[in-house]
Amino acid sequence: MQAEAPVGRSSSYDHSLVPPCQSACPLHMEIREYIDLISQGRIMEALHVIRDGNPFPSICAHVCTHPCEDACRRSQVDKPVAIRALKRFAVEFGGDRMIELEANTTHAERVAIVGSGPAGLAAAYYLRKLGYPTTIFEANPELGGMLRVGIPQYRLPRSVLDAEVQRLIQIGVEIRSNTRVASLDLLFEMGYKAVFVTVGAHQSLRMGIEGEESPGVVDGATFLREVNLGLRPSVGNRVAVVGGGNVAIDAAHTALRLGAQEVKVLYRRGRAEMPADGSEIEQALEEGVEILFLVAPSRIKRVDGCLQVICTRFELGEADGSGRRRPVPIENSDFELDFDTLVSAIGQAPQIPQDFRLRIGKGSTIQIDPVTLLTDRPGVFAGGDAVTGPATVTQALAAGRQAAVRIDEYLQHRYPALPKETRAALTTPLLPRTIELVRRVNRLDPPVLPAQDRTGGFAPVELIYDWKTAIDEARRCLRCGAGAEILFQDKCATCLNCLRVCPYEVPQLDASGTLQIPADQCLACGVCVAECPAKAIMLRKPYDRRQVTEELEHALRSALQTSSKPLLVGFCCQYGLFGTGSLAGLWKAASASIWIVPVLCVAKVEEEHLLRAFEMGAEGVFIAGCGAQCARENTGQWVARRIEKVRRALATLGIESERLQALPTDGEEASTVQAVQEFADRVGRLCLTAALKREVRK
Amino acid sequence: MIVAETKPLDEIWRSIAPYSRVLILGCGTCMTVCGAGGEREVSFLADALRMSQARGGEHDHSLLEYTVKRQCDAEFLETFVDRSREVDAILSLGCGVGVQVVADRFPDLPVLPGNNTYFMGASSEWGVWDERCAACGDCRLADTAGVCPITRCTKGILNGPCAGAKNGKCEANKEADCAWILIYQRLERLGQLDKMRRYYPPRNFRVIPRPRRIVNKTQVSTGGNDGQVSV
Repeated sequence: MQAEAPVGRSSSYDHSLVPPCQSACPLHMEIREYIDLISQGRIMEALHVIRDGNPFPSICAHVCTHPCEDACRRSQVDKPVAIRALKRFAVEFGGDRMIELEANTTHAERVAIVGSGPAGLAAAYYLRKLGYPTTIFEANPELGGMLRVGIPQYRLPRSVLDAEVQRLIQIGVEIRSNTRVASLDLLFEMGYKAVFVTVGAHQSLRMGIEGEESPGVVDGATFLREVNLGLRPSVGNRVAVVGGGNVAIDAAHTALRLGAQEVKVLYRRGRAEMPADGSEIEQALEEGVEILFLVAPSRIKRVDGCLQVICTRFELGEADGSGRRRPVPIENSDFELDFDTLVSAIGQAPQIPQDFRLRIGKGSTIQIDPVTLLTDRPGVFAGGDAVTGPATVTQALAAGRQAAVRIDEYLQHRYPALPKETRAALTTPLLPRTIELVRRVNRLDPPVLPAQDRTGGFAPVELIYDWKTAIDEARRCLRCGAGAEILFQDKCATCLNCLRVCPYEVPQLDASGTLQIPADQCLACGVCVAECPAKAIMLRKPYDRRQVTEELEHALRSALQTSSKPLLVGFCCQYGLFGTGSLAGLWKAASASIWIVPVLCVAKVEEEHLLRAFEMGAEGVFIAGCGAQCARENTGQWVARRIEKVRRALATLGIESERLQALPTDGEEASTVQAVQEFADRVGRLCLTAALKREVRK
Repeated sequence: MIVAETKPLDEIWRSIAPYSRVLILGCGTCMTVCGAGGEREVSFLADALRMSQARGGEHDHSLLEYTVKRQCDAEFLETFVDRSREVDAILSLGCGVGVQVVADRFPDLPVLPGNNTYFMGASSEWGVWDERCAACGDCRLADTAGVCPITRCTKGILNGPCAGAKNGKCEANKEADCAWILIYQRLERLGQLDKMRRYYPPRNFRVIPRPRRIVNKTQVSTGGNDGQVSV
């Protein structure tokens, strides 16, 4: 057994499991990592992690449907972490607008992208990064596809989209807007070696009822496109929207903003079956939209410039193929409603030009090889809604990224590489006992514009977190899959310390008497790491990129160069309060030079760290936790225990035990600063007394 | 398990004072479990000594740290023979057994104890150990329902209880349960109260010859190699 710092002590290894949020994300983003950085107030680093996994984080920050939150295991305890809103916070505060991209052309083969939706933009981004001259062809005057013509401005401000497009232009993507591609052959004749078809799904499905062609009836995609391209169609006072998806709800929101007095959504199933995003439905109801469930139009008649819509009531029958209960019309339940405009938004499908000569499959989508993304024509790849049917922005971005990789392989004559994931995924839910022991913390959602202020215009509905709320929300993350493991099983003396100290009762003895720390239950608090007498336990992924030890060395080295006043070292919880750097004011104020060693939870401070601080010349050492905001109830108990032990050692060496203190913190800045100041004064007096005693002895 | 406690730092400090290069040797078994000499304690002690040195400025020790799986078997000690050549003394954080085995293996080095070894015991909760066995060599636990009167009765009497128990606690130690009351309760549960009524004659501890040795080897003739076994 080695006694030197084991290899595992370095901060580079990663034994963590892929958390459920990351598995659920089409882009496979390192969500746990950036949420943790946000919780420490390291927003720029968080943004860096976000940008690593997402070409257009600012877009996702606004419109992502956050499948990660649906997978979040915090929902087993209370509610999922508000991941998308936190990403938006990181994008807004982390300086995303300042980031400039760079790309060099290293290949001669030109690639054409047909369509500039999220899939096309992402493919262009990654192809440029790979060094290919890339051209985007877009039929509309402006880029963005559904981002531009489908998603209303109050969800995705156009400035955000424009900024991302501008960045693509900066890295040399050639843009051909107002250019509808009629034939792929032409592109190959123009010298393009590969084509990525991502034309989206813009064709609304027809309701198939009498009177659908009447003036005043418009399909959802066209309606949103017109509004989003700057037209203000007059919708009259009474508007009906048919459908229950996001397009329907967006159309309802938009109709209100165009001045409609009365907006009714007709949906043939119930609330539970509605595919639209829950919070958007809530917002629509707040704004005064009325949703009629189990109702669908069966006939439309235009009388005197007004639409008479005959509606039928439905009831829910057996579950159908999609798992939702099939609506069955109730006989003789027809009733009539009058509207000025009816928007039908019951679904969309791609419309692929015949001249592309691509094999079309179910739902008018392009058929592709699921691995290579190749269509039946050589050199032609496809992705996005054109392949999947209407899906999410994030899925499209993932398809675009995948396409860039596949096109690169195709052009370089490489065999398609299969995705390499070396880490196992965490799929199991939390056990009831673990759930019981996790501290409940309410989810904090970002503020939204009050309902009465929303309908007046197209201003963004959702506002941004303030700094403190964002950090508090980020701290709710349970850090699934990054917990402790017995890294050196041969050292483990099976002393059962970990089993006895774990606040979540996670470690278990297996049938053969070996201790196991189930990776799917451990929540990475680090108490057992510090309490293991054999130093056999490590966190699967040291969160702090620099460990406490390294931080301490760094602080002490810097301190030795500058300090003349007595040196104090404070181990401060990096979550919450201290994450925002509010202790910085102490530097000037205190009568000592104070060096803060940031730690991720004071339960991770080991006795050795305290001794090391004294060894390097600290006159006083304090530990300050985050107080009541802590993720656990009894963190202070561990701190107290370790302080007690070190104090005993100090006492035998003639060092006053008052020089080591845990400061009571209630998470408030002012009282913490005061406590540190008092501690500094106390240590100052002790130093003085000690100096006097030395003089007297001489 | 053997339970020990690290000696006070000043005592350790005095004992290593004459030696400039000291190897602090931990033990990965009992001493790790009882928190007196595992890898963490080794580095805690080294840090504490270094700190004292850095602040006192009088001594100049170089401290090496090493932890073996078990100090009481000499084979484990072979793993650091090379290092032992670079030091002037070994400070063992093993139990008394460990210290002696280490001393035996390294005849040319002073081997200093860093722990006070107390007893054989069990942990009743995290961080608390209680003595449970005195290694008397004549186990009577069958008669006393699995509660040892030698270690758990302050007086060590074989025919208890004495008359001094109050509220189930020992008169000599108000924190300790009276072992004989525990014995009575367990025997009652087991329906073996007749064992209480028996008289157990006193034992003569004097006749135990120290050091004791157990030979657990079969005496096999080691003569030929013809596959014949003769006992």
